Amino acid sequence: MRKIYCLRLVLVLLAPLTPIHAQYKNLWIPDTISGKTFNLNIRDTFSQLISTGNQTITGGINGKFWGPTLFFQKGDTVHLNVHSFLNDSTTLHWHGMHLPAVMDGGPHQIIPPGTVWQPYWKVNNQAGTFWYHPHLHEMTTEQLIKGIGGFIIVRDSLESTLPLPRKYGVDDLPIVLTSRKYDANNQFITTNTAYGDYMLTNGTPNAQVSLPKQIVRLRLLNAETERGYNLGFSDNRTFYIIGNDGGLLNAPVAVTRVKLLVGERVEILVNLSGDAIGSSIDLKAFNSGQAFGFPGGEPNSTGQFGSLLNNIDFGVLHINVAATTTNPITSIPTVLANNTYWTATDATVSRAISITDGQPGPGNPPFALDHTPFVLSYINKTVDLNAIEKWTVTNNNVFGHTFHIHDVQFKIVARNGNAAAVGAYESGWKDVMSVPVNESVSFVAKFEDYADALHPYMYHCHFSNHEDGGMMGQFTVNNPASVNPVSAKPIDFAIMPNPAMDRLYVQLADQANSVYYLTIVTITGRTVLMLPQPQLAHGIDISFLKPGNYLIQVMDEKTKSLSTRSFIKQ
Amino acid sequence: MASANRKPTVVHVIGNEVKPFSLRNCNGKDFSLADYRDTKGFILVFTCNHCPFAKLYMQRLNEMNAKYKSLGVPLIAINPMDSNIYEEETLAGMQSWAREKKFNFPYLQDASQDIARMFHATHTPDAFVIWKKGGKWIIRYSGAIDDNGEKPAQAHSFIGLAVDQLLSGKMVSKPETLSFGCAISYRGG
Repeated sequence: MRKIYCLRLVLVLLAPLTPIHAQYKNLWIPDTISGKTFNLNIRDTFSQLISTGNQTITGGINGKFWGPTLFFQKGDTVHLNVHSFLNDSTTLHWHGMHLPAVMDGGPHQIIPPGTVWQPYWKVNNQAGTFWYHPHLHEMTTEQLIKGIGGFIIVRDSLESTLPLPRKYGVDDLPIVLTSRKYDANNQFITTNTAYGDYMLTNGTPNAQVSLPKQIVRLRLLNAETERGYNLGFSDNRTFYIIGNDGGLLNAPVAVTRVKLLVGERVEILVNLSGDAIGSSIDLKAFNSGQAFGFPGGEPNSTGQFGSLLNNIDFGVLHINVAATTTNPITSIPTVLANNTYWTATDATVSRAISITDGQPGPGNPPFALDHTPFVLSYINKTVDLNAIEKWTVTNNNVFGHTFHIHDVQFKIVARNGNAAAVGAYESGWKDVMSVPVNESVSFVAKFEDYADALHPYMYHCHFSNHEDGGMMGQFTVNNPASVNPVSAKPIDFAIMPNPAMDRLYVQLADQANSVYYLTIVTITGRTVLMLPQPQLAHGIDISFLKPGNYLIQVMDEKTKSLSTRSFIKQ
Repeated sequence: MASANRKPTVVHVIGNEVKPFSLRNCNGKDFSLADYRDTKGFILVFTCNHCPFAKLYMQRLNEMNAKYKSLGVPLIAINPMDSNIYEEETLAGMQSWAREKKFNFPYLQDASQDIARMFHATHTPDAFVIWKKGGKWIIRYSGAIDDNGEKPAQAHSFIGLAVDQLLSGKMVSKPETLSFGCAISYRGG
């Protein structure tokens, strides 16, 4: 007991605790949804995050903060029913997922307040830890800080056969790391701030968790605005990286520290079988003394780039060791996946991107890529379907950044042009990479399966404040074999029954047509239902609509022309 | 589209004059500020039907009006939400809400959002106290109603303090607090 008391006292001296919270709170573990249909209700809500005074306004999906962990099975086609009840428009991006651009949930798939969006896709990704979060341009920081987001865990047949911890919430935990600043009314500060002052681990301040005395698996996600975490354990013990952003590595990598930057996930195994029941260790951020440009290494404790957690070592999760479970995992596997990765020589196209601007001082333009601030209507790059490309991101900038690309998982093939400089810890499939000051990083990816000349994918720094400031570009994947349509005649269709009550059926006059997008709009112009690439055979569920007159807008796949009909919902 | 490009900045309105305005009332006679020549002051709350945080304050609005109207300071509620975006914020929707929550005060529709703009209201709820001085209406308090949304028994009423101080001829000691709630999307940004 005394050992724990001393540890707590040391923690009080070293790191700031949430106001009034002198005690640990039990880590919240998100609920789960499995299967093929996932209902996500996004709401404005509030939570007593600070124990005295006002509640904090938060954004929750099916709950008060954050959202449920979605379990996908590789090969399944998953259907998402996203219903936004938010006061503001939003989007929901499936980070790391390989899917059609129109399902991606980036800045173009805007969900207005009160609207239902129903994307669906075949799960192509291999087993790994992914996430979903808002991606509305200029609002991403605010909506992420509010807490909108969640984990996606993909399972596949290979991973299921491995001797890995897999009991969700018991020996296999998702851990999302973020921090917050609060104003005088206990509300999150969302503007002019890069770093929070107080940790929220799975939305829990001063989090503690009981883990069993065996091998445990932690799926760590950095969902910060900017801060990076140089993670390790309080006793500097060795732990094992088993997965990067895109899935399992081919073999575990033994480390005592791993840097986790914004947007990245890392799956680790840590061995607690040598720890006494009732003892404690801490997962910590060893953020003191980092190289210049490490986000969260700035010396300021206040101000826009300051934080009580800057440039110090602090705990992110207090772990109490409890009794072993039945059928524990007791050894670290030596073999994991059997990935075959791209190499630099596989690439037929090379692209270079520079990190530019962002110099401190009034009137200076914000951080950008290639001096080109993001413009929603401008496509920066066009990639051919099935191309294998090498992208090199160079940072001769004043600060470190991350780089994230949608649609694909990539293999980092070089740092500063040197393949040997790529860390073992980042040797797997990834979708976010760290680009420190004075470094260039190259990756190779194949852009396969999905082509769409209209809807783009994004690439951007994943510091949401930089992203909102325009440090983002977009690319389309084009099928060079596709023929431009000659006629631009709008698609002809009938709707039945009309009036309709529960289901509406769309009958295309020409069966050779297909529908790219279908929206249902009120007669005052308010979108209520967004169906990308709808499967129309079984009709459209309109039971949730209020009775009245509606417009149905159908966009033709080939010509992208719009046709509109009206119907009455009874 | 609600919210894109919105970067709310706090505009200081304490001491500003409020020009007389008229708004449609959903639950009684239409409101015109010019009619209230002998009223000392008003508690003015921008609120709406759908916002979860505004919903917490419905009973408190009734209580504040019950207490302060008899002291010469009535409460009025104003809905600045765009009913094109939020379908429950039409006049008919406001009528249902006022009936359901048994409002004892006028619930006015700011359809053009001009009044909300005049006050630089940022959220629902966003509360103001205006006071009659030399024939003019002056803003003497702006910000939150109180400091606890979910637990009224633990809340310290900023509005109550301001009105009590004004009624006893004192200066308002805390004229400005940060309002919090759902952001008001102004048409045209």
